Amino acid sequence: MLKEFTCIICPNGCGISADIEIKEGGDSLIRSIEGALCPRGEIYVKQELIDPRRNIATSVLVKGGILPLASVRLTKPIPKDRIFDAMEEIKKCCLKAPVTAGTVLVENILGYDADVIVTKSVPAGKLLK
Amino acid sequence: MKQLYDVLIIGGGVIGSAIAREMSRYRLKIGVLEKNLDVCCETSGRNSGVVHGGFAYNTDSLKAKLCVEGNKIMGQLSEELDFAFQRCGKVLVGNTPEDQESLERTMKQGKANGVSGMELIGKERLHELVPAVIGEFAMYSAESGIVDPFGYTIALAENAAENGVDYFFDNEVTAIERDADSNYVITTSAGTFYSRWVVNSAGLGCGKISELLGIGGYKIIGSKGDYIILDKRTGPLLPMPVYPVPSNTYMGIHVTNTTDGNVIVGPNADLTDNFTYYGVSQENMDYLASSASDLWPCIHKKDYIRNYSGILPKWVDENGAIQDFKIEVQDLKAPRAINLIGIESPGLTAAVPIARYAVGLMAEREKLTLNSSFNPIRKGVVRFAELSKEEQNLKILENPEYGEVICRCETVTKAEILQAIHNPLGVDTMTGIKYRTRSMMGRCQGGYCQMRIAQLLEQELGKKEDQIQYARKGSQMFFGKVRQEVES
Amino acid sequence: MNAQLKEIQVEQVDVVIIGGGPAGLAAAAELYRRGIHNLLVIEREKQLGGILRQCIHDGFGLTRFQTALSGPEYAQRFIDTIEELNIPYITDATVLEVTHERQVTAVTREGMRTWQAKAVILTMGCRERTRGAIGIPGERPTGVLTAGVAQAYMNLFNTMPAKEVVILGSGDIGMIMARRLTLEGAHVKAVFEIQPYPSGLPRNIEQCLNDYDIPLYLSHGITAIHGNTRLTGVTVSKVDENFKPIPGTEKEYKCDTLILSVGLIPENELSLDAGVILDERTRGALVDENFQTAAEGIFAAGNVLHVHDLVDFVSIEAESLADSVAKYVIEGSLKPAAISINTDCNIGYTVPQRVSGEKEFTLSLRVKRPMKDCRIVVRQAGKEVAVKKMKKAIPAEMIRFVISHEKLVSGSDLEVCVEC
Repeated sequence: MLKEFTCIICPNGCGISADIEIKEGGDSLIRSIEGALCPRGEIYVKQELIDPRRNIATSVLVKGGILPLASVRLTKPIPKDRIFDAMEEIKKCCLKAPVTAGTVLVENILGYDADVIVTKSVPAGKLLK
Repeated sequence: MKQLYDVLIIGGGVIGSAIAREMSRYRLKIGVLEKNLDVCCETSGRNSGVVHGGFAYNTDSLKAKLCVEGNKIMGQLSEELDFAFQRCGKVLVGNTPEDQESLERTMKQGKANGVSGMELIGKERLHELVPAVIGEFAMYSAESGIVDPFGYTIALAENAAENGVDYFFDNEVTAIERDADSNYVITTSAGTFYSRWVVNSAGLGCGKISELLGIGGYKIIGSKGDYIILDKRTGPLLPMPVYPVPSNTYMGIHVTNTTDGNVIVGPNADLTDNFTYYGVSQENMDYLASSASDLWPCIHKKDYIRNYSGILPKWVDENGAIQDFKIEVQDLKAPRAINLIGIESPGLTAAVPIARYAVGLMAEREKLTLNSSFNPIRKGVVRFAELSKEEQNLKILENPEYGEVICRCETVTKAEILQAIHNPLGVDTMTGIKYRTRSMMGRCQGGYCQMRIAQLLEQELGKKEDQIQYARKGSQMFFGKVRQEVES
Repeated sequence: MNAQLKEIQVEQVDVVIIGGGPAGLAAAAELYRRGIHNLLVIEREKQLGGILRQCIHDGFGLTRFQTALSGPEYAQRFIDTIEELNIPYITDATVLEVTHERQVTAVTREGMRTWQAKAVILTMGCRERTRGAIGIPGERPTGVLTAGVAQAYMNLFNTMPAKEVVILGSGDIGMIMARRLTLEGAHVKAVFEIQPYPSGLPRNIEQCLNDYDIPLYLSHGITAIHGNTRLTGVTVSKVDENFKPIPGTEKEYKCDTLILSVGLIPENELSLDAGVILDERTRGALVDENFQTAAEGIFAAGNVLHVHDLVDFVSIEAESLADSVAKYVIEGSLKPAAISINTDCNIGYTVPQRVSGEKEFTLSLRVKRPMKDCRIVVRQAGKEVAVKKMKKAIPAEMIRFVISHEKLVSGSDLEVCVEC
């Protein structure tokens, strides 16, 4: 079975075609793969076949800071179908200024070995207006 | 305790606000009932902003008489009330012998109407006046001009308010009755008001209000005109409005410079009975551009920054013929009710003479006592962008809020936004700030400043995000916060 | 009031950089490293970083830093350098004027300030094309906003601007906002693109639309906007190859918000007043390989010059002008660029548009339509001087390649074309 993928690893967004054989038990075997400009494309396709993963970015509330929000992201992608569960966890968080970029907000979110980290420093102070 | 007004004015557009101001020269308790959240939300703010000479109207009509008067006093008004007005002149451009005849007739009518400063000019002079124009000859009207219709209406309203007039926004009149004392009881969407006199200056709603007053029979149709606004970079190419040769009933699609340096293209004139639909169709936009390009070939899509439309309330007879302004008191049907019908173009130019005419009808019926504390002077928001660098520097040193530019395209500072937020009428919409400062009117259309202005409105007036309205009631901008504290 | 304060003093600097985003900060750091220390970055916002402050998604920095960063993290790397090197900058200062003679005047809370610079670098970025600019017909309710404005509302102002959403335009910011809005509970019904191909990058179609089951309809335009207070819906039509709506294909979508991602326009209002000449195709300045504009001593880089697909290239472009600006500051002039770069009908534009032919340069360009297995060829007097082979070339992607001056001769223009 020929399957088309768009690699999301880098901005090149290679269109990758993979010939896949679905084996008994649901495992799939890649017979051939082409279209990727670099080896990361093949790794991406393999991962997509067994367990598609994505990173997300969002914000958390900051109290007493010069900005109302601090942006956050995951240190590693997590299974695609758990993104909204991760969002619910992140929504519960609230930070107190000062906040430093790189701070781990949630460790090992949903048990996937990925942390939620702050990506924007928010010094304490009056809200900038 | 119920407040009994001497006069309640229904409709706070340029006419209602001019009447409010003229009446505040007398010792009267005056209120204005406006269904929108600000003045100039309808016809008063949606037009070409041209101060007409008065040559285009039938001699002896109120339109001609009041327009000519309005043109004459516009300079003085603009000084008293601090709004933008330029007596830049205008040209009516022709090409054929028929055009020539038509312009000669227009000149003749203008002279009979008492208009000065008109002349027929040849191609050379025409191109001296407007180098980019296409045309063989023209009628030049030196006394014509342009006004900022928002600034003008707001100035009249603010001056009226400063002289004691109460403005009630979000009050749409739904019923008018008379009580045992023969006072008017006016029911609105928000409450009940009492008054000895009523003024119907409801613009597009004049027919409906007239009916509520018990004066039926006026047929009002809307004439909808669409416009395209061009970038300020086009302004230098158009020093004055350029019109085609007019027909009896319609000025034709023209190009008009604005007091802020943009160019507006339009309007077409589509008859409509829907007085709340302001949409602009693709066909009309294309038609405006191609039609006006025959006069002024500088219309390019890359310079479009916005389109809008306006509707003129025209009073027509049973044959559909457009009638003159009607300004009346029908003492038997509705005593002490000043009824203004079909106030369309040139209503903007004629607003103050219309108001004086209306006050005259009142003065014929009861003695008016001058209000000795009336102050005709009103100051608007200082325009930082119009100051010299040295003046700008001084302004910032006086008040550092002038040192923060909120609207980049039009160089509007935080100090100006704050003054507009705390305006004398208590208007609290985004367009209220826009019309008072020009913020969000530039080429990025608020892309940079809108969010900052919304935030300032929230802070200064203690509002929540979901209470910020853009223009009309129901035009909420936001659905709350992205993140708020959660109970854990 | 202090009488002296009333006079606006003219301050002397070597270089003024207008805009403290990814282009301006990168240029500042590189200039500083080349010994130009008397420079000043002027930023209108209260913090440095430019538009990246609101681009909280990741995917930045893969080229420049070999690691995936969010926008704020990417900006912070440059801000940290600025702070470490002690490079002078002011925030909360809006430049009102740049003259042809390189005098720069800005509004600040301390008063008006004017600098006389030996060189000016324009790094003001771009603005979004609006509804008015593309002339979408219909009513004018609130709820029609550009993707960048929606992004700022959500990511900077903590304000939710939408619930039921339709997006017009498949630009990258529009797709990124489709995902962002979905994550925050809004319902994005569809993305419509008037072109027969997407205008954003394939990876964003995949990870922002496909992942969230948001359909993308190509060759579709919005033909009416409904609602006289808040938006109530839009009418969408299929369009033909001339972008004219096809009658009978109209479909109504109920929504409270229409997000526009219909293009970016380099922000060149200041540049025009300084005498900079713009390229009609990029709407940015015409420049030579030194990034010098038609106004001598005024340089431009980043999105103010041409709209980039990736911020990495914005910074790299800005860094690459440092040598030339430093040379200009020291020597007072640069070699004239007499060789024009012309393009065929498949190329949207090139930057630079002129070169001297005496030094190596990077040619940036975009193709006008998607193409497969093609060669981008640069010729001079019929002779190939550079070739780049492309498996696929799409308008969404900026193509860059280095052209050596060794094969170039003087007196003849360069021709760039695509061969399939």
